[in-house]
Amino acid sequence: MTKFAGVTVLVFALILISCEKWIDPNLNVDPDSPSEVPMKLMLPAIQQAFGYNMAGNDLVRTTNIWMQQFDGVDRQSYTEARYQLLPADVNNVWYSIYNNILMNAKTMVDVAENTEGKESPYNAGVARVLIAATLGISTDLFGDMPFRDAFRGTDNILKPQFETQEELYDTLFTILDEAIVNLNSTTNAVPVGGDVIYNGSTAKWKKAAYSIKARHELQLSQVNGNSAYTEALAAAANGFASNDDDLLVPWNVDNHNPIFQFMEQRTDIRMGATLVDILKANDDPRLPFYAAQDGNGEYTGSVIGSQNGDASKPGSYIAGQSASSVMMTYSELKFIEAEAHLALGQTAEAQAAFEDAVTASVLRVTGAANTEWLAANVIGIPVTKDLIMTQKYIDSFGTNQAYADYRRTGLPAITIPPGANLTTVPTRFPYAQDEITYNGANVPTVTISDKLWWDK
Amino acid sequence: MKKLFFLSVLFVFVGVSNLWAQTKVITGTVTSAVEGEGAIPGVTVQVKGTTLGANTDVNGKYSITVPESATTLVFSYIGMKTQEIEIGGRSVVDCVMQADVLGLQEVLVTAVGISRERRELGYNVQTVSTDAISAKPNADVVNSLAGRTSGVQITSSAGDAGASTYMTIRGAHSITGNNQPLFVVDGMPIISGGGGGGVDGVTTSSRSIDLNPDDIESISILKGGAATALYGVRAANGALIITTKSGKSLTNRKIEFHTSIGFDQVSQLPPRQKIFAQGLDGIWAGGNAYSFGPKIADLEYDGDTNYKWDPNGKLVAKGTGNGKPAQYYDPYKFFQTGTTLSNNLSVSNGSTLGNYFFSVSNLTQEGVVPNNKFGRTTLRLNASTNLSKSITLGADLAYTNSTSNQIQKGSNVSGIMLGLLRTASTFDNSAGYIFPDGTQRNYRNGGGYDNPYWVSNMIAYKENVNRFTGSTNLSVKFTDFLKLTYNGGVDWYTRRYNDRFAINSRAYPAGYYDEYMNYAGIFNSDLLLNFDKDFGQNLNIQATVGNNLYSTFSKFLYGDATGLEIADFYQLSNSPTNTVSTGISNYRTAAFFGDLQISYLRMLYFGVTGRNDWSTTMPKANRSAFYPSVSLGFVFTELGGLKNNKIVSYGKLRASAARTANIAGPYNTSNYYTQATSDDGWTNGVVFPYMGQTGFALSTGLGNPDLKHETQDSWEVGLELQLLQGKIGVDGSYFNNKNKDLLMSVPIAASTGFSSIYLNAAEMETKGFELSVDASVITSGSFSWNILANFSKIKSVVNKLAPGVDNLFLGGFVEPQVRAVAGERYGSIFGLDYYRDSNGNLLINDDPTDNFRDGYPWTNSGLMVPIGNTAPDWTANITNTFTYKGISFSFLWDIKKGGMMYNGSRFAMNYFGTSELTAKREVYYTPEGTIDFDLTPAENIVVFDGVYGHLDADGGAVSDGVKNTTPVVLDQDWFQGMGSNFGGGPTSAAMEHTDWLRLRDVTLSYVLPIKWKVMKSSQIYFTGRNLLLFTPYTGIDPETSLLGASNAQGMDYFNNPGTKSYMFGLKFTF
Repeated sequence: MTKFAGVTVLVFALILISCEKWIDPNLNVDPDSPSEVPMKLMLPAIQQAFGYNMAGNDLVRTTNIWMQQFDGVDRQSYTEARYQLLPADVNNVWYSIYNNILMNAKTMVDVAENTEGKESPYNAGVARVLIAATLGISTDLFGDMPFRDAFRGTDNILKPQFETQEELYDTLFTILDEAIVNLNSTTNAVPVGGDVIYNGSTAKWKKAAYSIKARHELQLSQVNGNSAYTEALAAAANGFASNDDDLLVPWNVDNHNPIFQFMEQRTDIRMGATLVDILKANDDPRLPFYAAQDGNGEYTGSVIGSQNGDASKPGSYIAGQSASSVMMTYSELKFIEAEAHLALGQTAEAQAAFEDAVTASVLRVTGAANTEWLAANVIGIPVTKDLIMTQKYIDSFGTNQAYADYRRTGLPAITIPPGANLTTVPTRFPYAQDEITYNGANVPTVTISDKLWWDK
Repeated sequence: MKKLFFLSVLFVFVGVSNLWAQTKVITGTVTSAVEGEGAIPGVTVQVKGTTLGANTDVNGKYSITVPESATTLVFSYIGMKTQEIEIGGRSVVDCVMQADVLGLQEVLVTAVGISRERRELGYNVQTVSTDAISAKPNADVVNSLAGRTSGVQITSSAGDAGASTYMTIRGAHSITGNNQPLFVVDGMPIISGGGGGGVDGVTTSSRSIDLNPDDIESISILKGGAATALYGVRAANGALIITTKSGKSLTNRKIEFHTSIGFDQVSQLPPRQKIFAQGLDGIWAGGNAYSFGPKIADLEYDGDTNYKWDPNGKLVAKGTGNGKPAQYYDPYKFFQTGTTLSNNLSVSNGSTLGNYFFSVSNLTQEGVVPNNKFGRTTLRLNASTNLSKSITLGADLAYTNSTSNQIQKGSNVSGIMLGLLRTASTFDNSAGYIFPDGTQRNYRNGGGYDNPYWVSNMIAYKENVNRFTGSTNLSVKFTDFLKLTYNGGVDWYTRRYNDRFAINSRAYPAGYYDEYMNYAGIFNSDLLLNFDKDFGQNLNIQATVGNNLYSTFSKFLYGDATGLEIADFYQLSNSPTNTVSTGISNYRTAAFFGDLQISYLRMLYFGVTGRNDWSTTMPKANRSAFYPSVSLGFVFTELGGLKNNKIVSYGKLRASAARTANIAGPYNTSNYYTQATSDDGWTNGVVFPYMGQTGFALSTGLGNPDLKHETQDSWEVGLELQLLQGKIGVDGSYFNNKNKDLLMSVPIAASTGFSSIYLNAAEMETKGFELSVDASVITSGSFSWNILANFSKIKSVVNKLAPGVDNLFLGGFVEPQVRAVAGERYGSIFGLDYYRDSNGNLLINDDPTDNFRDGYPWTNSGLMVPIGNTAPDWTANITNTFTYKGISFSFLWDIKKGGMMYNGSRFAMNYFGTSELTAKREVYYTPEGTIDFDLTPAENIVVFDGVYGHLDADGGAVSDGVKNTTPVVLDQDWFQGMGSNFGGGPTSAAMEHTDWLRLRDVTLSYVLPIKWKVMKSSQIYFTGRNLLLFTPYTGIDPETSLLGASNAQGMDYFNNPGTKSYMFGLKFTF
């Protein structure tokens, strides 16, 4: 009997020892989902999200409707055309900015800088450029946003504080300066891989960093006065040198352009009459690339608020199945230079930059030089701020830049649609509903007619 | 680990010695006190205080060798009261056994296989025997439990062959997690879940369907925390302890053959209007979505043979065609009579050397929807051998192959009922579903929804499950009071399915194919040391210590192919567009547990258990948790003054309390990368591979390294009574379960870098009352009448959700949704409602200047409000059983009170003009625009029950409270407006009560008086299921669930219909 008891105790004791092995903590690591991935697999994911969301359909559609480059003719797009944009409408884009782009780009910087023996300033620099580009477009729409406190869910910071746009702009320039230092580095352990934008060219990423810096220095013209122009010009000097340097996110037959998908799956927008009429008035060669022919073989825009579903749909440059999404271009940089020079009274430089800008724009959009049309309509026409901003408005179709420029310059003039909810063009986006729901105490109370910090 | 164990078992064997000394032989005959039953074979005869035992033979005779010291024999048999008879020096001991109406003395299998007399328990356990489940027309044994118990809710998702079943014991315990009980078969926990799904697709089986009901000897339902506490982290939802048959009680070979054939018919279908033809605005239009055309009686065919959509041609006004009158086509002719063929053969035997039970079975089922099929083949061998008087070694092995072909359902252009119920009144689906060029013929001229015949013939979901469950068990009796048992086994299956959509299917015009393969299983090991000893006459102590090791694994591979190059060839390579995905889920737990039961004076029963669990899914610091329980049974009729009372012959009070738990699923404590995609909520978006690259992004669900176990604190009190010498038995329980720290995924602000975090967040409380009554109304000569009734009233309330979260989506649509809401009953349905005044009266529009029709209610499209709850107020069931000689007749009424369902099918049929409600649509107006009462049929005039009201300038509802008297007609504008979901009507108008009274089961059986030398008995029976159903619900049988076996019940949106069944069977014993 005691023998049995002894054996039993022994058996249980042995089980107790083996239990420690049985409850192996490594079993709680998902073998089908990596907890670490190489940067060359992170970068294309960030770039895809960046292209689809920041330069794709969601933001661009709304800002281009407000700028009357598009018109929203049905459902939510029609609502937006009447200046209604609700917190719930920006939930998706808010998630994309924070979850899909910034969180992953920030993680990529961490991996690039903190993997011992495999420090990669180049990868850190590329990720920083993408962070800055995203933060710039985002704060120009949302103003104050969480940043220092953000992306720290893993540190159990679940209700991040918001920072002022002024602070965010400082951060933005710091990040770009760091990126430039990174990209100038002489040691780099891991080459930039998976780069669908510049195929790993640090020289081009560096130009992009300077160009984005120029974009946002200029955006502060109402805050900083002339120094905004000089800073913008200083940055632009190291920026894009030709259309080959453009910051474009590509699409192809397997992964279709976002506006193409919207027109295929939703179809609620048409070309805006304001843009189409400007192009038609000048017989602009970009028109057939910007707009598709309507049912009558004509190019027509829908007058804002008219819900003219028979107007032209967006054309191949904007909504082609494989058309790239445009983040920033050489022509935009030249328009920045033109505006800055003109403001500083450097008319000759302004004239040259303006002519280069339109020339580059026409070439990029149409694929042809169109020298005759340029000679007749652009070259030698004395530059004015109005002219610069109108041409920049044409050039920046399909990006968020026209809306940023409009709030800075008031150009070109925008007619308020009949039946609009507001008497002026909205000056900002609302905060996302889910951010209000889950981080309400920190979210500033705003209306879409409130002005941002740089909008004086 | 295993090696170590076997080594120690070897030690144990070596130590066993013969404990028996002087013996004598006792014989006798056991008969039944129930008249006409005579000798009882298979009665267990045991020497009290020892493990010595024997069984009676076919003639009720037994012979047992007992030690000289033996004083008492114990006679036990299922359904009879256990009797103890003193030997008193006799060598012949006969026994007359009494029927045990409530089964109070029956020996039950409780948690981790510990056997207890019901009398000893301080908590409620309900048992269901083989008779209630083996001869029923249900492939899934869980369906046969419906209506036979208290505190258990069972909902079959649909009448399809192989449909899933949702089961909860004592309400919901988790908010977003699993609520289904643990299934344990012969000590082995098995995979029983599955069968949940979305609002579309197909219904799939719950894996409890893999059990052969004929193999089951009995099922114990452990309901409360104290009953299941020994299962620790798997105990929160209750447990079904299933014991399969064995040859244990046999002394001669027994061969049983059971064959049956069953027929299924669609039970209830939504009534349709048969007066108006396809079309809109009173004009016939072929291919039109609606049935708002002219009266069918006013139409005839034009005989146009070029009109390919109808062999009779187009419909034209009477007198202008070929004279062949238009007709209403009944689309319900689509349904067929389903058939079920079942054959089961078993061989079993037992002796002092050991025993075995072997069975083979086959079930072939064809549903009421053509090509809906389910098939199951099972093999089982339960064998055990007595290696010596004290060592028993056995194995239970079962193999199942289940196959099914399921048909698309629900919110889905291929859903069988979606196309069927919307089909226009004058279109004949059955006149062909495919044209010679391969394109589809349907009532929408090829667009819209699939023709139901196309769905059942050209779209398929084929599933094949191969499953093996096997366990070995070893029992070593060290002494008459100390026993070591081991049970170790695996439950393992591969589940494969593929989905096929032929080219020209509406959902996939270019065709589609996918393939899924899942490999899943459980390994379980239980080692127990049992102690059971009497200390003197009055005190008995039973104690158990044990260890459990448990591991589960699951891995799936999935691939799909969109756009098929070769028609009708279903292979992943037959497409230029493929995507693949995989997933995995592995975890382990370990536990030590102990159980102590002290019985004093056969009056007081005190039990205490404790279990400590460790789990790999929890963070290291919190991976261990302890779960105790305590219970007390007090048989007050043992008290001096109450003993031998004529009225209350037996009475017991019981009380228990326990803490049980649940653990997190695997991989929730850290963060991962997943394959990246991008979309914007407007478009389908983009995926990887992208531009020749592979892309990974951080998962947006934030892992939580601080998770702890969720806990359930429960208590229950109960009363058991036997009145009038057992003629009436009563068993009632009141229970309370508090679930705390419920684990769930909680949404967080995107600026954290994540969209959700896994947290111990919510609290829920469930209270309930259960009552079972059993009465022998008449026992006179060879006639008897028994009643068994159960009643349950259970309410689960969500007390708290995570901070900042006031509701959680459990399932459903954009509107309506099943939600968990803090402070509300679990399973609330939220949706839009009509405008109402502050008293809840319907507002009837009286403002001629607004856009809403005067005299009708209109939708408040603001916030979604609670519009009903899926859970019933109470349920009850009553079974009456009459026996006369060899004839037995029983019928079971099942009653459900309260509970609502979204009848989205009916609401959508309004929009399409096919529901019967739309029949009274005819209205004529005077030139002034008022209803012309001379021309408009009087029965079409309706006055809404409500008060006049309208919206003020700020959009607020205003009413003077004046009762509405405006006559209106529910015409096309109403049904295409506020009278249907697609027209803008609120889902509150589609909520319907699902109370029911159903004749769930009728069984008539007759023991054939044939007795040959080889055949011991034979029985013929008839069973009917759901033969009568009384319910206010106007759709299909309201026992249905769009989302299958999921926490979101109460949704009917073109669900496949329920069935009623007739089954005939024969059982032979050789």
